[in-house]
Amino acid sequence: MKINAKDVASGVFLILLAAVGLWLNADHALGTARRMGPGYMPMLVFWIQLGLGALVLVLGLFNGPDPLERWTGIDAGMLVVSVAVGTVVWQIAPMFGEFFTGTYNAIGLGMLAGFLVICVSKGWRLLGFICAAMCIFGLLLEKGGLMLALTATIIISAMAEPQHRRQPLGVLGLLVFLLALCWWIFIKQLDIRVAVWPMQY
Amino acid sequence: MDLIGNLAHGFAVAFSLQNLLFALIGALIGTAIGVLPGIGPVATISLLLPITFGQPATTAIIMLAGIYYGAQYGGSTTAILLNLPGEISSVVTTLEGYKMARNGRAGAALATSALGSFFAGTVATVVVAASGPLLTSIALSFGPADYFSLMLLGLIISAVLAQGSVLKSVAMVVLGVALGLVGTDVQTGQQRFTFGIPELSDGIGFVSVAMGMFGIAEIILNLERPEAREVLKTEVGSLFLTKEEWKRATPSVLRGTLVGSVLGILPGGGASLASFGAYMMERKISKGRHLFGQGAIEGVAGPEAANNAAAQTSFIPLLTLGIPANAVMALMVGALIIQGIQPGPRMVEAQPDLFWGLIASMWIGNVMLLVINLPMIGMWVKLLQVPYKFLYPSILVFCCIGVYSLNNNVFDVYMTVLFAIFGYMCNKLKMEPAPLLIGFVLGPMMEEHLRRAMLLSRGDVMVFLQRPISASMLAIGAIALLAMMLPNLRKGKEAALSG
Amino acid sequence: MSGTLPRRALVAGGAAFAALPLVARAQSWPSQPIRLVVPYAPGGTTDLTARLVAAGLAARLGQPVLVDNRPGAGATLASAQVAAAVPDGLTLLMSNIASHAIAPALYRSLRYDAVRDFTHVALVVENPSVFAANSRFAPEGLPQVVELSHRTAEGIDIASSGSGSSNHLLIVQFAEATGARVHHIPYRGAGPAMTDVIAGVVPMMSDSLPSAVGHIRAGSVRAVAMSSTKRHPAFPEVPTFREQGIDLVSTSWFGISGPAGLPPAIVERLAMAVASVLAEPATAARFAELGGTVRMMSPGAYNEFVMAEVARWAPIVAASGAQVD
Repeated sequence: MKINAKDVASGVFLILLAAVGLWLNADHALGTARRMGPGYMPMLVFWIQLGLGALVLVLGLFNGPDPLERWTGIDAGMLVVSVAVGTVVWQIAPMFGEFFTGTYNAIGLGMLAGFLVICVSKGWRLLGFICAAMCIFGLLLEKGGLMLALTATIIISAMAEPQHRRQPLGVLGLLVFLLALCWWIFIKQLDIRVAVWPMQY
Repeated sequence: MDLIGNLAHGFAVAFSLQNLLFALIGALIGTAIGVLPGIGPVATISLLLPITFGQPATTAIIMLAGIYYGAQYGGSTTAILLNLPGEISSVVTTLEGYKMARNGRAGAALATSALGSFFAGTVATVVVAASGPLLTSIALSFGPADYFSLMLLGLIISAVLAQGSVLKSVAMVVLGVALGLVGTDVQTGQQRFTFGIPELSDGIGFVSVAMGMFGIAEIILNLERPEAREVLKTEVGSLFLTKEEWKRATPSVLRGTLVGSVLGILPGGGASLASFGAYMMERKISKGRHLFGQGAIEGVAGPEAANNAAAQTSFIPLLTLGIPANAVMALMVGALIIQGIQPGPRMVEAQPDLFWGLIASMWIGNVMLLVINLPMIGMWVKLLQVPYKFLYPSILVFCCIGVYSLNNNVFDVYMTVLFAIFGYMCNKLKMEPAPLLIGFVLGPMMEEHLRRAMLLSRGDVMVFLQRPISASMLAIGAIALLAMMLPNLRKGKEAALSG
Repeated sequence: MSGTLPRRALVAGGAAFAALPLVARAQSWPSQPIRLVVPYAPGGTTDLTARLVAAGLAARLGQPVLVDNRPGAGATLASAQVAAAVPDGLTLLMSNIASHAIAPALYRSLRYDAVRDFTHVALVVENPSVFAANSRFAPEGLPQVVELSHRTAEGIDIASSGSGSSNHLLIVQFAEATGARVHHIPYRGAGPAMTDVIAGVVPMMSDSLPSAVGHIRAGSVRAVAMSSTKRHPAFPEVPTFREQGIDLVSTSWFGISGPAGLPPAIVERLAMAVASVLAEPATAARFAELGGTVRMMSPGAYNEFVMAEVARWAPIVAASGAQVD
């Protein structure tokens, strides 16, 4: 077989995205070439993307082989489970308190839950921990303050590295160092407008 | 007064102890914030703006200008060391610079960047001083049709950015243009593809895309292959340039300076093309073009020189027309207005101290940056020797704070997460993020200029062929397209890439 | 930090309970730095106005007044954020014509009500708009522009800083009032539009006076008409729309507002401080230099002014055809 699986997948991805784009673009007036409407350029762009995607896909059938990385059953399963958990948490988050009715906190919590769940599978673990670390930063920063948010981010991101799990003292040292450094740079020097300690704003 | 007399006057102004001190402070702050991912010159200058109220106008603007070029220098540092581009110019630097760093040539890449930038800055300063007012006519001779053709040319030849398949790289450019469509339509004010999210009405943030797809995705990938990242700390190699590297980098710096100086003058988006135009030029015509993709020094020297030259010449529209070419320049206008000075054509006569003092301090600022940066190279390279398990959480927290501080909104943090996943996926599918970012930046400008040109010409497409500038851009684009399609040339390119 | 718990309690507690600490806090207000949210990027007219006022307020209130730029979504993002903030007088907004008069008509789903969700404290400054033309553009005054627009096959091009901006709406009103055939060319901000007017790509634009001031003074563009009631003191030679037979008055304005439910004691103290800043001749002179006019209003008057503006702009926005989801 000469199938280039990477190219085929890329082609499918491009085509799907272009199709979604064209579908969404149906809401926008096309206008004329003289007075182009908001939908004119998107129409051009998505049709070109569709064509290129198809070309990538067709050529990908012959210029291989270049297989995708192997997914284990648990990787695929956990992807589905984590997306489901994330969506459910996002939808029910407003019930947990007033904080989650705010702008992006519910979706942040949903993303955090999804990324933490996906860490169960080995293939996704690194991605999951790094993304979860960023999400918890977003969740904690405004109410919990910079120090709390950084602490949580550093601890979760450290879980991505097996060596840290064996030597928690190293993480502690890093934590103290980074907290001090960030306070000095961002609060002392740059004075970015953000709460430093919990419930400051 | 003649040019020499004017410059002498400028240096007399700039060499006052206070102005020197603030040029140094500006350069230092700029370097520091350039190194911090996400915190750009715009954020810093707006934070420091109130401080400048109490200073004389000349001192204030000298400090702010120092921050501006300092940030350009510092931004290259993170691009080379950590694959973290803060703006479009450093996206190109990551391509060869980060590869050089992985080959143990981080020191050489940083030195090339600093020296190339210094040389380009010096030349561009002379350009601004000698012919700034004359060059204004170039800025004014570009109409919407010309800008459209320039952007289109940029997109066509961006296929050269491909490290692998040209077809996929073109598809990524188009995908980038598509992402750039998100936001408010300039002509009608209608929201496109925003899903009712107000944060998206100004478009997806560049830093979220760049930081997610490059910086964060790179962290995940590095963690995945522990063996590859150890290269970073074992072979650091010589800190400075070898004789061979000098010889390769010099012509690239000269070409980059030329490209950057010209493009920087165009207020409608020229400066963002500078570094990437220079990269494509090096990739096509430099002696080391067969080494591109493996850490070619030409790919650092050309774009870095172009970038810094453009940073200097983009002062021309501000100083001679009073029109800011980018957000940093808009802040400078604000700073001047607060001081009661209206930038514009009369500034040269009305405020000779300010005008010539600023030009002199541009050069002084570049000297200071060289002095600050060359000795720091050793320190930066040492940063790579920090075990990666300690380095990556640090990069991550700096990215988080940086992204948040862009708009003081956590929305941007979540966007960055999404683009990190997307970048990770692109890597697994061998889809390159650099062409996507080019399309993302140029696409919205291209659409705006296209639609405006059509509005003004009352729908007559011939306007793109009737205007000489536009027509020549399109001709070059057509030739480039033909050259890419001709099979023998293409084979040559593939051979060059694999060799 | 001290003084954070009462505010927290306030969010959680009921209205009656919350009123107690508010009264207590109003007496000592401001006990902490005040955040003045500017809904635009730094360096623009709004930002400059805010910084000038903030400096004066800080001196009078004895606490730093920090300018916090939160640009986005045509000034509506920051306005929504301030509308949802705790009314303790520590979070204030530069309310303006875009977010508090035009947006309610322009945006179909706005997250705030321009009148109900705010305590409007004081108007600060008004800026007229100006029709600025390329220096080689032939028509002397507006009647000649109208006449030219009928002679040109496709109407006359007039640029603005963006669709739905007050400058764009002035063009719409101008076309409606005179029957001129106008071809609107929107730009992303006033800077690029001004470049094209200077270069002659577009013959004329509608711009706020502060952003055009330097170019008019330098002679790179010519002011054809000003949209204020009287001639501007800094430009006595530029006639108004009214003088040229077109009954059009349109000024963009900026004021200071807080979230709804700001305690009266704080409103009073803040309004007095703003009035005292504006009464300073140096401040008025700075605003005049920038192209604006200081206009003082009591909190009640400003509130009514905002209500009147919301009502006034709705039909104009509808006529322009601009609409945002």
